[in-house]
Formats: sequence, structure tokens, C-alpha cells
Amino acid sequence: MTPTYPKWEVSLIDSVHKTTMRIFNKRQDVKWYEIGVFDKEWKPIPFVTSYKILQVKYLTQVNFDVYINSSNKDKAEYICSLSKLRGNNNNKPMVASKICSRFK
Amino acid sequence: MKKLLLMTLVLGLTACSMLMPKKAEAVTNINGTVESRCTVNTDTSGYYGNPNAYTLTTLPASAGQVPIVRVDTSLANAYKAQISYPTSFSSSPSLSDTVVWTGAVAVAQTSSTDMSGYQAASTTADGGAMRIYPLSIAGATWFSVSSVATYGGGQQKAFPGGSYTAVVVAECVAQ
Repeated sequence: MTPTYPKWEVSLIDSVHKTTMRIFNKRQDVKWYEIGVFDKEWKPIPFVTSYKILQVKYLTQVNFDVYINSSNKDKAEYICSLSKLRGNNNNKPMVASKICSRFK
Repeated sequence: MKKLLLMTLVLGLTACSMLMPKKAEAVTNINGTVESRCTVNTDTSGYYGNPNAYTLTTLPASAGQVPIVRVDTSLANAYKAQISYPTSFSSSPSLSDTVVWTGAVAVAQTSSTDMSGYQAASTTADGGAMRIYPLSIAGATWFSVSSVATYGGGQQKAFPGGSYTAVVVAECVAQ
């Protein structure tokens, strides 16, 4: 997920800030990624995107906007994508990946 | 007369070269940018061996396979990798007794010899289940994640029959 260090911008809506992120999927075994925004203590912060779980096909890129209440802008520390795994029935440990960008 | 013929020839050739179409030339740029990023990939998907009724293990000596996760960074000191071995099953038959989890995370391979100090520089969290590696050099690092689950809380009870799945978590967090 890029950029590594995103910045909030003023949006067209009063008291709402936004940032644009990109996800590139290099995992053939994963098609869905969940977005989350967190503070320094990793507590979730409310935000809005078109979809909180995005479909990103293998080796494709998806751009998406994240909107946040301006009052929470300075609390937000991390924005993360977490791979969503489908259950399997073959005694295999699966790998969940989480990539986090940081607001500085 | 000879001079006249020569001049006519030179003028003719010059005129011809001016009328001939020139080679078409165009400049096409290939643009690209390099930005810092981190990617996580499953290099080897692991599986549990079942050496006895009460143990599930990824150790190859017990017919298991240790999963290997590859983490790539394009910028030094931008990310830290946080790799955790499982401490619960994500899916399993109903279990009425305790499962004891152990495991280990280690650097299996690196793309640069400069990364040889990664394991020594790592720290643990979450009761030792998570190992944190500051990625101080750009490049690829492969992490092996071994996992052992023992059923019965030390009483060596047999796992109920069925499918068991656990999740290794590989995180890449911007510093």
C-alpha cells in the first residue's frame, strides 16, 4: 500500500479531510483487503471509503479515497490494509498480511 | 563543358536529396517513479504434520512444512516487519481442552549480506509470539515461522479428528 507517508487534504465537504491511497496486490492467494485507520495505540478511528473491503485482483492496483472527520485528523496515525483469507480444509497455516502507512 | 556537366550533376544531386523524405524520428519517454513501499508475499505455504495424536507441528522432521514469508522494502529505515506465529486456530473442530502454542520466527534468507544482523536486532512482543524487525536496508527478507500446537494442557490428550487451520500474521508498518 502506498504512499508510505500519506497526508490529509481538505475535501469538498466542510470539516472532512481526505487522502488517496493505492493498493497493489502481489499475492496470488488473496483477492480482498480490508482498510482500517488507527491511532497511536492502535485503536480504530472512524473513517469512510467507498468500500471498507476492496477487491484487488492479483497484480492489479486499486486507488481509493479515505475520508475522516477533521477533528480526528491529528489522532490518525496509521492506515492499514489487511488481507482477507478464505478458510481452507487442508491443515495449512495461512499467512495474513497487514501493510500500514503512517501519517507524520 | 566538363565544369558545366559537373555543376549540373552536383545541383541535381542536391535537389534530389532535398526532395527525398527524411527518416521519421520520434522520442517516446518511458516514465516511472520510485517510491517507498513494502510488500508481503507467501514464499512457501506451510502445513502441519501430526507426529502423534496430541501434536500438530510445522517441523519437517514431523512431516510438516515451515511457512516462509517474503517481505520486500524499497527504502531503508522506512518500515518495520512484525511477524507472529499462531496462538489460536482460525478454524478447528470443537475443542474442550487447552491448546498450548509454541513457535519461532527467524530470518531464513536475505537479499543482502548487510542484513545479517536482522535477527540479532529484532525484539519480541505479545508474549514472544511476535518478532519485530526494523528493516534498515532496502531489499528482500525471507522469514520462517514455525508453529507447534499441543492439545490437553500438558495431559497429552488426542486432538479431535478434523481440519485445523491457524494464521501466521506478517505486518509491515511504516516507521
